[in-house]
Amino acid sequence: MPLAARESGRGVDDDVALVTAVLQRDRKATAEFVSTYTDAVYSFVRRRLSPRHDLVDDLVQEVFIAAWENLDSFRGVSPLRAWLLGIARHKIEDHYRRLLQSAQLLEPEAAEDLPASELDMEAIADRKRTEQRARQVLAELPEHYSVALQWRYWEKRSAREMAEATGRSEKAIERLLARAREQFRRRWLA
Amino acid sequence: MSEDFRAPSRLKSRIYSALLKRQREDGPLLNLSEVKARGGRLCVFEELVQIAPVGESAKQPNLCRLCHARILAENIENAPVYWPGCPYAQFQNR
Repeated sequence: MPLAARESGRGVDDDVALVTAVLQRDRKATAEFVSTYTDAVYSFVRRRLSPRHDLVDDLVQEVFIAAWENLDSFRGVSPLRAWLLGIARHKIEDHYRRLLQSAQLLEPEAAEDLPASELDMEAIADRKRTEQRARQVLAELPEHYSVALQWRYWEKRSAREMAEATGRSEKAIERLLARAREQFRRRWLA
Repeated sequence: MSEDFRAPSRLKSRIYSALLKRQREDGPLLNLSEVKARGGRLCVFEELVQIAPVGESAKQPNLCRLCHARILAENIENAPVYWPGCPYAQFQNR
């Protein structure tokens, strides 16, 4: 059954009732919680960690453990699915941040003569029909290039935000993005 | 970013087991009589414990921890687990 169809019958009242039962450590409610929402979280995480599918299962499990630890803060203001995906987004950005903090970024002198990118990365990230192709190209890139592009163009974070999160300079992030775009462009046009 | 993926049944099983473990660390699980009274469907083993002449505290442990269905479901994708009321049967992508 498609994910949307499985969740479409749920309202916020159902979510609040489910959360209340899970907080009371009702094992069957906990099973329903896992059964109803794991596919959505898994799908969300897998797309954003591609091609590192080896990391997906552990991160999804971390999302549910974090959800349990914070479940009493769920007020039903937004659907439970959106609340869980918010936790997943934080976990994914933690992964991006750690990876870019530890990656050997560009040497300053190597970055200065990068050609201007001929591709509109924003448009590529937006078009559904190019999504699959873009994913394939991203999967071929070195991981820190792939993560930098996904964080910037798919998660819509600015270079400044990425710099603040990773402790790198904004200039270093811009250089990294320039090199990543250039690598992407070459593969995209190949 | 539109395609859907289904989570492996093994992952759902492991998440459920991890959540119950964390819940047990934080306090007793809701006892089986209350679970049933709320409409929760018990598996055959839980049903036996629930009707047995034992104290309420004996109805609180996570019986799945001792069940081979959990082992199968955590390690085999679409494991042959079919008991009605078993959460691990619920997680199978069949």
